[in-house]
Amino acid sequence: MSIGAAVLTALVYAFVLAPIVVLVFSSFDTAPYFSFPPGGYSLHWYATAWQSAEYRDALGVSILLAATATLIAVPAGTAAAYALARATWRGRTVVQAILLSPLALPLIVWAIELMQFYARIGLSGTMLGLALAHTIIVLPFPVRIMLASFARIDPALEQAARTLGASPLRTFARVALPLAAPGLVISIAFAFLTSFNDVVVSSFIAGARSLTFQVRLYSQLRSQGVDPITLAIGAVLAAAIVLAAIVCERLFRWSRHV
Amino acid sequence: MPLSRLLPIIPLAPACLLMGVMFLLPFGMVAVTAFWGQAPGSWLVDEAFTTRNFARILADPYFVLVIGRTLRIGVEAAVICLLLGLPVASVIVRARGQVRGLLLVLMLLPMVCGALVQTLGMLNLFGLAGVVNGALKQLGLIDRSIRFLGNETGVLLGLIQAFLPLMVLPLVTVLGRIPPDLPAAAASLGASRLRVLQRIMLPLAGPGIAAGAILVFSASVTSFVTPQILGQGHVQMFGPLVYQQAALVLDWPFASALCVVMLAALALAAALLAGVARLAARPRA
Repeated sequence: MSIGAAVLTALVYAFVLAPIVVLVFSSFDTAPYFSFPPGGYSLHWYATAWQSAEYRDALGVSILLAATATLIAVPAGTAAAYALARATWRGRTVVQAILLSPLALPLIVWAIELMQFYARIGLSGTMLGLALAHTIIVLPFPVRIMLASFARIDPALEQAARTLGASPLRTFARVALPLAAPGLVISIAFAFLTSFNDVVVSSFIAGARSLTFQVRLYSQLRSQGVDPITLAIGAVLAAAIVLAAIVCERLFRWSRHV
Repeated sequence: MPLSRLLPIIPLAPACLLMGVMFLLPFGMVAVTAFWGQAPGSWLVDEAFTTRNFARILADPYFVLVIGRTLRIGVEAAVICLLLGLPVASVIVRARGQVRGLLLVLMLLPMVCGALVQTLGMLNLFGLAGVVNGALKQLGLIDRSIRFLGNETGVLLGLIQAFLPLMVLPLVTVLGRIPPDLPAAAASLGASRLRVLQRIMLPLAGPGIAAGAILVFSASVTSFVTPQILGQGHVQMFGPLVYQQAALVLDWPFASALCVVMLAALALAAALLAGVARLAARPRA
């Protein structure tokens, strides 16, 4: 390996990871506006964040929304992925491309049209509309991850179960699904995070009563700039996600699934 | 059709129904509504066919400027991500076992942490009182803060930080497939480094380069948060513009026409890159 490539790689990693490090670091600043070097360090903004009902409500909406979208998308996506993985008919690649299309097409265009679509069918500003939209943006993840997981299973195992008299449903539930369990965990994690992190679709179609944490944070950033309370919450979220990502990598090797 | 033939298709129904009704149907509407109009002085949509929206985009220097700037920033982001991504991907490919997994996870962390959390960190990193300016002042290298944000530099920094993984992942896939002995074998047969790059590495890595470039370009030209927050309102791009037209000006047909122009540009860029990749992979005598 050339030294030049190694040095450049180290610099690129520093740049890519710097915002997370700076976010956590700056959340301990005592001042209402972060400046470097900080005047002092405290947990003041963490205490303030803890007491903020506004952000607590928004986090509640985000978690409820992400859980709902995951609960619909992962079973639907897993079922579809299993059917596609075992399919031999022509046109299955077309169906697969359709189910993965939100990954390839610009979501901002869809969000623009969805605003008007919702206005026509009376779903504007409703939690149901938001939950359905989130279901769509997370659905491709279980489809793609489970498709790869099911494809890796030796078909002989399922054939053996069928020969021994297990129904197709039982074969799926007792043989295929347990063997694809790591993929299922990764699908749930990706679905939940994709919904939780979404800004664009939510800020286009969220109503005043269903403001997610990201939408609230975004409008705060646009109107007043950085609020130290959001630094504290952002730091906790980032730390939790980084920790979960590293633990999941050791347990499930999720980096191989993307 | 007998039930036994329908049975394997039933598990597909919920996902396909959701995707068809909630995604493809609204998405397809863009091609129809772009040719609708709006009654003057009203928010009501006039569903008579018209090409007025497109004529307005072409005739107004402001819209041409914003779309042109968006495409240029997209190309810049894709090129810089490629230049940074190639050495990173080659280091990842050569790493083994746990180190490789760790390098991949670290590269993906910004994506799983979410766009806004990153943007928040970017503001405190590159802001006027941020870490970079503060450190440079402490070192005595500058007296006055450098303005990184609120201009195209800030937007580009944000886009590269956010979308670099989209370039690195496809590059890791294609570079991982090239046997490590192949370039060495060509070199031992007398090929120069340039020739190895030209005849072996580029044709084999071409599809990954094209895939990464189109992913970064597409994500950059349709980005919404980065131009707003890191551009601080000084760098108007397609994403915020189309939102403004649809949600604030309430001219849905015009917003759709802007979307159609951008979709056409994306399709053209994808076709161009696929063509170049195919040309690079073509065996030469």
